[in-house]
Amino acid sequence: MAIIQEYNMPDELYYHEEHSWAKVESDGTVTVGMDDFFQKEAGDIVFVDLPSEEDEVEQDEVCGKIQSRKWIGKLCAPISGEITAVNEALEDDFSLINSDPYGSGWVIKIKPSNLDEDLGNLFHGSKLEEWIKAEIKRAEEEKAKAG
Amino acid sequence: MNKPWRLLKGWDHLVSTADGLAVDDCLAHTVSEQGSAPILHLYRFKPSVIVGKYQDIEAALNLDRCRARGVEYNRRSTGGGTVIMGERVVALGFGISLDHPRMNRSINAIFRVMSSILIRALKNLGVEAVFRPKNDLEVEGKKIAGLSASSEVGSGILFHCSMLVDFDIPLMLDIMNVPAEKNYEKGYNCFSQRLTTIERELGRPVSMDEVMEAIWRSYEEEFQVEFAPDELSPWEKVKVGELKVSRYEDPRWIFSQRHPRNRMGEALRKTRGGLLQVYLSLSGSIIEQVIITGDFFSSSADINRIESVLKWTPAVKQHILDNLGSVWTEEIIYGVEMEELAETIVQARINGFAAA
Repeated sequence: MAIIQEYNMPDELYYHEEHSWAKVESDGTVTVGMDDFFQKEAGDIVFVDLPSEEDEVEQDEVCGKIQSRKWIGKLCAPISGEITAVNEALEDDFSLINSDPYGSGWVIKIKPSNLDEDLGNLFHGSKLEEWIKAEIKRAEEEKAKAG
Repeated sequence: MNKPWRLLKGWDHLVSTADGLAVDDCLAHTVSEQGSAPILHLYRFKPSVIVGKYQDIEAALNLDRCRARGVEYNRRSTGGGTVIMGERVVALGFGISLDHPRMNRSINAIFRVMSSILIRALKNLGVEAVFRPKNDLEVEGKKIAGLSASSEVGSGILFHCSMLVDFDIPLMLDIMNVPAEKNYEKGYNCFSQRLTTIERELGRPVSMDEVMEAIWRSYEEEFQVEFAPDELSPWEKVKVGELKVSRYEDPRWIFSQRHPRNRMGEALRKTRGGLLQVYLSLSGSIIEQVIITGDFFSSSADINRIESVLKWTPAVKQHILDNLGSVWTEEIIYGVEMEELAETIVQARINGFAAA
């Protein structure tokens, strides 16, 4: 568990620059969700347009859309592979992404097709702190400007 | 010397929803994929009504009335609720890269910078507007412009704004399904107390040329750039054609079922300050629209602010209280506690779910 400033960015996860996270499960599948930085920036999640099971996705591909307030943002696949599950609980309560982004607010599961190389392109370990600190600095500058 | 920014001047004629919305979507593509300079598209639609990307169009609109009155309907790619467009409403699409230094890769920056530009444009016309959470501009509690955005493609952002120069309230009531419709013409909910227009604020006729120029000049001032009038490039024309076919002329896009279920709910409560009535339009469990009325004492501006801050909030007590807390002041509604209002809203949601 890593709390960087007020943001919870668990160490064991791999992060995409568009703020999706990937967790490699013991059975080899990868669970994907949106990180704490994203949900704090976006505010209340209004709708998630989920992809379908069995869709093939490439790393960086936009595979879903997320609406908060009047803004439509994107869910980028952190790794390539086949979508094996989507979180149906979100259909009833999108705010799970806000309240439990690394637990019950997960979004999709992927059976990876190029895992080792894909993970190397994501933020993890020593690169994570440097990246998220820059993102936090940016967000704080924005908050200061907004007054 | 900086490359001039591009201005697509489209207000000398009225465009179809498919044409206007496809050009707007193309802006984000061309900025992201073709390295275009930022582009401002200022134009006017034919009489039309446009829902947000994830709205239930059949719940939001009376489609038979739209057809009977010759009002086009369509679905845009940005979020938010229903807007009525026409020859006296500014349609604005703006494409810019999230990587532009002023955008700071932040959606919050986009709304802040765009609001500031549009507030300055209105000020230069003589209208004092302010930003109202979550995404409107208001004049003394009355909405004058709505803002929305999307970042669907690469680093490109599309920002949308509709701004009222003049507005046909009876048309709106005829073609939209609104909660508590019968109550709209009385008390706090009278539409004339919810919306305003540039002409109403200035008390004189205003030309679309005057408004459009105020807007693009405000962009120039904010970003310290100059616009050059421009046309779509051949690549962009092809893209617009593709977007029309794949989206705005396709019933599968217009009547998309990819949205939460829509429900209406209402609840009444007796309070120390009088009867409190709440009408909700829910998108899933999110408040899409809320009408607060009754025989309590408050001001229309305060009720409008309360309603506005509750939009796009989960209809869950803690979320409601968090949002109400950002605008609530003592006796904002005389004799009604914030807690009572939150509980009545939750009850309206429960009643709506039970009735569905």
